[in-house]
Amino acid sequence: MNVILAANQFGLSVPNLIAQIIIFLIVFFILKTKAFGPILAMLEQRKQRIAEGEAKLEKISKDLAEANANAQAILDKANADGNRLVKEADESAKALAEKKQQDAIHEASQILAKAREAAQLETDKARSELRREFGRMVSDATSRVTGKVLTTDDQSRINQETAAQVSL
Amino acid sequence: MLNLFQSQLTVPLLLAEHGVSPEAMPLAGFVTNSIFVGLIVLGIVYWFVSGATKNMSLIPHGKQNFAESVIEFLYNQVESIVGKKVAPTAFPLLATLFLFILVSNWFGLLPGVGTIGWGEGTGALQVSEVEKPLLRPVTADLNATLGMTLIVFAVWIYLTVRETGVWGFLVHTFGPKGGLKGAMGVVMIFIFFAVGLIEVFSILLRNLTLPMRLYGNIYAGENVLHTMSAMAGNNILLKILFQLPFYFMELLVGVLQAMVFTLLTSVYIKLSTEHDEHGEEHH
Repeated sequence: MNVILAANQFGLSVPNLIAQIIIFLIVFFILKTKAFGPILAMLEQRKQRIAEGEAKLEKISKDLAEANANAQAILDKANADGNRLVKEADESAKALAEKKQQDAIHEASQILAKAREAAQLETDKARSELRREFGRMVSDATSRVTGKVLTTDDQSRINQETAAQVSL
Repeated sequence: MLNLFQSQLTVPLLLAEHGVSPEAMPLAGFVTNSIFVGLIVLGIVYWFVSGATKNMSLIPHGKQNFAESVIEFLYNQVESIVGKKVAPTAFPLLATLFLFILVSNWFGLLPGVGTIGWGEGTGALQVSEVEKPLLRPVTADLNATLGMTLIVFAVWIYLTVRETGVWGFLVHTFGPKGGLKGAMGVVMIFIFFAVGLIEVFSILLRNLTLPMRLYGNIYAGENVLHTMSAMAGNNILLKILFQLPFYFMELLVGVLQAMVFTLLTSVYIKLSTEHDEHGEEHH
C-alpha cells in the first residue's frame, strides 16, 4: 500500500506509463526504420566504396609501376636494338665502302690496264706504220739514188732491213 | 510551487476551455501534458529523420551529413562499450534512448514549457502560479522515465539470455569464482550465492535508480528555473539574469543525463554479455 501511495505521489499511473512506453516505442520504430537502418547501410556502402577505391588505387599504382617497368624495358630493348642496328649499319657501311673502294680500285686498274694496252697497241701500230713509212722512204730513196726500179722482193728486203735497223 | 509531480490532463483541459466535455473525446482523455510533449518530440524526431533520409546519396546533403555524423558517433561509442557482436542489436535502443532523452530534455527548456498553463487567475492571461502547465518535459514525468527503463530491462533480459543463456547467466551470477576446492570451495559457494542474491537485487534496483535519476535531475532543473524566475519578481531583466546561467547548466544537464542513462544501459548490457564474448575470444 505504501508503494502504491508513493507511486501516486510521484504521479505514476498505468495508463500514462503505457502511453509513454508506446510513444517511446514509436520513436524507436521510426528511428530504427527511417534513420538507423538506412544511414548505417549508407555508411557501410560508403565504407565499401572507399575500400574498393583504395583497392583500385592500389591496383592502379601497381599497374602503373608495371607499365613503367614495361615501358622502361621496351625503351631499353629499343635502345639496345637501335645501338645494335646503328653499329651493324656502321659496319655494313664500312664494309660497303671498303668493297666499293676495292671495286673502284679494281675498275680503275682495269681501266688503266686497258688504257695502257690501248696505248701500247697504238704505239705498236704507230711504230709499225712508221717502220713501213721508213721502209717505203728508204726504198723510194734507194730507187731514186740508184735509178733503178726496185722489185717487190727488193722493196720487201729493204723494208725489213730498215725496220730491223730502226729502233723505235 | 510548480506542481510537476502530477501529470495534468492537458487535452481535456483544453477541450473544457472550448466547452467540449471529456466524454466527447474519450481517446484524448488520457493525453497528459507530458504525453502531449512526448508526441511533439515524436513529431520533431520524425520530421528530422524524414528530412535527413530523404533522397540519400553517397555524397550526403546537409541534414543527411549531420544525421550520419551523429549516428556514426553513437554507433562507435556503443560498439566500444558493448562490443562488436552485441552492438548491431543493442544500438537502435541505445541510440533511441540518447536521442529521445536529449530532445525531450532540451525541449523542456523552450520558453513556455512549464510556464504556460492554468492556475489562479490574477488578471487577463495572468495567473499567480501555474498549477496545471500546458506543456511539461517528458523526462520530468516518472511515467516516461520508468517506461523507458522497463523497455531497457526487457531488452537487457533478451540480450543476456541470447548471449549467455539462462544457465550461463545463473552461473555467471551465482557461480563461485576463483577455483577454490575443498572446505574453502564449499564456503565460497555460499558466499557467491549470497553475492548473487545481492547482484540480482541490484539488477532489479536499476529499474528504480535509472528512472529516478533522470526524472529527479530534469524535475530539479525545471524547479530551479522556476525558482530563479520567482525570485526575480516581476522584473524582466532580473528574470533573464537569474535564469540565464541555469539555462546553460540545464543544457549541459540535458546532454549529461541523456549520456548517463544511455551509458549505464550500455554498461549493464556489457556486464551481462561480456562473459560470452570473452569465451569467444578464447576460442
